[in-house]
Amino acid sequence: MADIKFPVVELEDNKFQVSVDLNLYAKEVITAALYKFTHLYFIHQVTDSSNSNLVQIVFESKEDNQVNADVPKHFCNELIDQQLRHYTNNQFGHIRDLIVEEAFKPVNVKR
Amino acid sequence: MAYQLLPFRFERFNDNEYLLTNEVGEYIFLQNEDFYHLVKGDMDEHCDLFYDIASKQIATTDNVTDVIPMLATKFRTKKSILRDFTSLHMVVPTLRCNSSCIYCQVARKNMDDHSANMTKKTAKNVVKTIFQSPSPFIKIEFQGGDPSTDFEMVKYIIEEAEWQNLFKKRVLEFVICTNLTLLNEDMVKYLKKHKCMISTSLDGPKDLHDTNRPLQNKDLDHHAIFEKNLTMIRDIWGDKECVSALMTTSKHSLGRFKEIIDEYVRLGFNNIFLRSLNPYGFAKQYKEKIAYPVEEFIENYKEGLNYIIELNKKGTFFIEGFAALLLKRMLTPFATGFVDLQSPAGVGIAGAIYDYDGNVYVSDEARMMARFKNFYFRLGNVNENTYQEMFNGELLHNIISSACTECLPMCSECVFQPYCGADPVRNMSEQGDMIGFRPTNEMCKKTKAIIRYLFELLKKHDPEINRIFWSWIN
Repeated sequence: MADIKFPVVELEDNKFQVSVDLNLYAKEVITAALYKFTHLYFIHQVTDSSNSNLVQIVFESKEDNQVNADVPKHFCNELIDQQLRHYTNNQFGHIRDLIVEEAFKPVNVKR
Repeated sequence: MAYQLLPFRFERFNDNEYLLTNEVGEYIFLQNEDFYHLVKGDMDEHCDLFYDIASKQIATTDNVTDVIPMLATKFRTKKSILRDFTSLHMVVPTLRCNSSCIYCQVARKNMDDHSANMTKKTAKNVVKTIFQSPSPFIKIEFQGGDPSTDFEMVKYIIEEAEWQNLFKKRVLEFVICTNLTLLNEDMVKYLKKHKCMISTSLDGPKDLHDTNRPLQNKDLDHHAIFEKNLTMIRDIWGDKECVSALMTTSKHSLGRFKEIIDEYVRLGFNNIFLRSLNPYGFAKQYKEKIAYPVEEFIENYKEGLNYIIELNKKGTFFIEGFAALLLKRMLTPFATGFVDLQSPAGVGIAGAIYDYDGNVYVSDEARMMARFKNFYFRLGNVNENTYQEMFNGELLHNIISSACTECLPMCSECVFQPYCGADPVRNMSEQGDMIGFRPTNEMCKKTKAIIRYLFELLKKHDPEINRIFWSWIN
């Protein structure tokens, strides 16, 4: 059986690190996922010094919000949803632009 | 892939299902597995579920260039509120008021203080500015203070507007927002003659109404005068619909929504808008005494809505206004004008307010912020600035470009986006900038919770609930 490396590591009290693989997740996807956690925790984001395709994200407790093992897990689930949005948006984002352009064409003609 | 995905947003609705919505408000619930198949592109395009998805225009097997005009037409219909530009014009003839509401948001003046009365020169310029709006519909709404404390100015503005309209030929409507207590028969006859509808405030049964909205003269019984004058107005008008009422939820109202609704029914109203407290004025200053966590409002709202549904089931036709507005957005292709919840935001482009001194603000809430020295949302002054400077100026352009949910952080991906709206004024008041931060935004929490609850009710497929909802929309 292949050795699967779990991407979440507890660093010390009140700090967890998540390794995010850029081959799986786009950078804007990581930012979108992190955005939902910034009010709860301090978040540090750095490129791994030995592998530029890995981003290390550290969650640190902030005021009354203690980081526990569930926080990085919720973040990982959020990453999946955001990557799915990114994926679907790549398929139909241009169609959305065309719909809006077509919808407001009469306004542009009047101009 | 045998089909093309069309633009949609999604969210895990519960452990087993995803909710998908598209740009024009169509929605569908999919089991997790079906959702993954749809997105992966391996769903059978001949199965019933795919036909449902295609009928909602979330995916298509047709040529995309054929689908775009249809979606564009629906999208334009949903955004048709933009077509006419500003139609709601709120005017403040005076800040004087005989009430002493605990959540007053406008820094009212006492009855003997005439320092905040509008002059005739300003009033004339207000009306002139209003009629420069390109909208074929003009609604002038008198706000205060209580505008009935300067009824002569109300009459002056009504007649000036009617005179202007002889030439401009718009569909012209008037509304006066008043606590009713100062209206006499002559005033009501005048309002009826000029088709000026009456909007009032009713916070619930006597003790609650008088706690939230006491009169300055403590010897007077606000609720009793309200009830007497309501009867007098309806008798003169001969139509119960001439008076509509709004409620505001203070801390004292929590746990009492059923009583509040009962009071509305008792007094002959057939609708209520269960409205939370806005964070302006005294409501912000004395937050600890009268405000409450948004979660408490949401729970009360759900109880209230359930109670209203039960009333309807028992044969009393009664509408909850906020639910009716959202349901219209969720269940029909039509646009709904609601300045507080649209995208782009309605501030300035759907409604504007003209203060007693001629200052023009993008919304009533913006005026409230100005009372507390924040003038960010002041477009100009009717005595100093042209219509173009105010309504086509850099400020309004900046505000509107920061107020489209289609591109705000988190709103842009939110599954409820097609039904929701942006409020840059409230974001500024609550969170310090026009964009706001959704994870801690109370307006966002409240609106999402209510839309989610309506979806839960729709998902029950209860024919009786559906019939009630459609009766509200129609």
